[in-house]
Amino acid sequence: MALREVPRSARQLLQQPSAWKPSVASLSRCASTEAGPAVPDVETESGLMTPVVERKGISIMDPRKRASRREHELPHSRYRYHPPKYDRGPLHPIQPPPSSDPVARNFTPGPFNLPRLKQTYHSTIASDILTLTYQHKPPGTPRSPSGYDSRGPRGAEVLLPLEPDLNYHNIPALKAVHVAMYTPQAKKNPDHITVAKTIMQTISGVRPTVTHTRQSVSQWSIVKGDRTGVKVTMQGNQAYEFLDKVIHLVFPKIKEWKGIKGTTGDGAGNLAFGLEPQEMMHFPEVEANYSSYPQKMIPGCRIFVETTAKSDRHARLLFGAMGIPFYGKLVD
Amino acid sequence: MASRLPTALPRRPTTSTLSTFNTLAPQTTSSSIIPTLQQTQTRNATLIKRPKRPYAFTQVIQLSDGSTFTMRTCSPHSLYKSTKDTRNHVMWNPSEKSLKNIEVDEAGKLAAFRERYGRGWDAQAPEVQDGGEEAQAAAAGGAAGKKDGKKDDKAAANASFENKFDSSYDPLGDLISQYAVGVPEDKGAKVAKPKK
Repeated sequence: MALREVPRSARQLLQQPSAWKPSVASLSRCASTEAGPAVPDVETESGLMTPVVERKGISIMDPRKRASRREHELPHSRYRYHPPKYDRGPLHPIQPPPSSDPVARNFTPGPFNLPRLKQTYHSTIASDILTLTYQHKPPGTPRSPSGYDSRGPRGAEVLLPLEPDLNYHNIPALKAVHVAMYTPQAKKNPDHITVAKTIMQTISGVRPTVTHTRQSVSQWSIVKGDRTGVKVTMQGNQAYEFLDKVIHLVFPKIKEWKGIKGTTGDGAGNLAFGLEPQEMMHFPEVEANYSSYPQKMIPGCRIFVETTAKSDRHARLLFGAMGIPFYGKLVD
Repeated sequence: MASRLPTALPRRPTTSTLSTFNTLAPQTTSSSIIPTLQQTQTRNATLIKRPKRPYAFTQVIQLSDGSTFTMRTCSPHSLYKSTKDTRNHVMWNPSEKSLKNIEVDEAGKLAAFRERYGRGWDAQAPEVQDGGEEAQAAAAGGAAGKKDGKKDDKAAANASFENKFDSSYDPLGDLISQYAVGVPEDKGAKVAKPKK
């Protein structure tokens, strides 16, 4: 055969590679002896090295010239699709497009960044909580000795949810943040409402709504139906960003801040805390133009953090992992 | 024909009560018609509002340790430099010694005061619990370097407490050395927390 004439090392190359035949030591390449081409795990090129785009470098034709050169007229905007103004129910022949559609009336452009606290939650906090609260049950353990759930007698006026064992699908997470301001002076001077609305909108990024007094109390000279407050609800990314801002930028600037009261919580996993009027200036947005607000009209706010935890103990775990300390007696 | 049709007939009779009303009792009084009319379903058109969103800028936030991240805010500044945040606050960095309150005594006035009047007025002096003069004497003994024989363990505890304010104090090393010697547990607990 012609294969016999070629030298032994080359013969190995020509033959079919087989798992059973050990290759010659000189030709084999072990992964441990020689590393492959170096793969940089950090990009070598900086984003700052991209060339700066100058205005004269961009070649845009004059839009007016281009329109005059156009042979046919563009269709009138009447011919565009306009989504219906009203939702007339699921059985109506004309259906509005979903809110994710950019032409929809209630479309909100999507997330523009990944909030830092959300990233931290998904990368570390969630797994930490799951590890901390893991309770091993050997297989075959009965669910409960009596066969019923461990809920007490149904005598209480408020039936609070039971605290479930934490699992991969019920790790406490942030659901929403509600911020409320109460300005009873607004009855005398309605400018208080304006200032409160402005501050609320700057710190939260959501258009606030005005709240009304629910009950008349003659001693406090409040009448039912007065516009005396402002509130806002943040969900999703905005809630995470707001809480991140409060934890890392506002709380450390407060003088002699001890933490959040340990007795807070409604028993169902929603914790609350408040900020004094003089502490509102620590928000970066308020600090940016603090002098433009009338200083005596700046109200404090109450912040309610809604979590998916079913008990205050679990919500407190989440808060602790996010970096909020507690002081005093903890009530679970 | 048209005149015989009931004028108040609902457009979409859905409930069974309506069908009985149509077949069995068409000529009843208005008092029986009104409750049946209230049972009909209505679906009014709801306005799809355009959401009012304040403009959100993307802001780079630089924390006090130099780390940066972006945030969507209403503030028009592109960069926010924080002077005080969780990175240089004692509550979030309990082991950082540089953040703790350390007295500055460049002129030596505090040292002179202590030399004259003792350390009884110090803010971080050991707590006076058993007896005022006893603890003070022990504290002074710890500072001067002389120890009473009968209050040996208390003086040692005070000395270890004061040693904490030295820069060379290493609590972990102290703990390791204790375990290496094999001190019985009750004494180890006393030394570990002298403040009670």
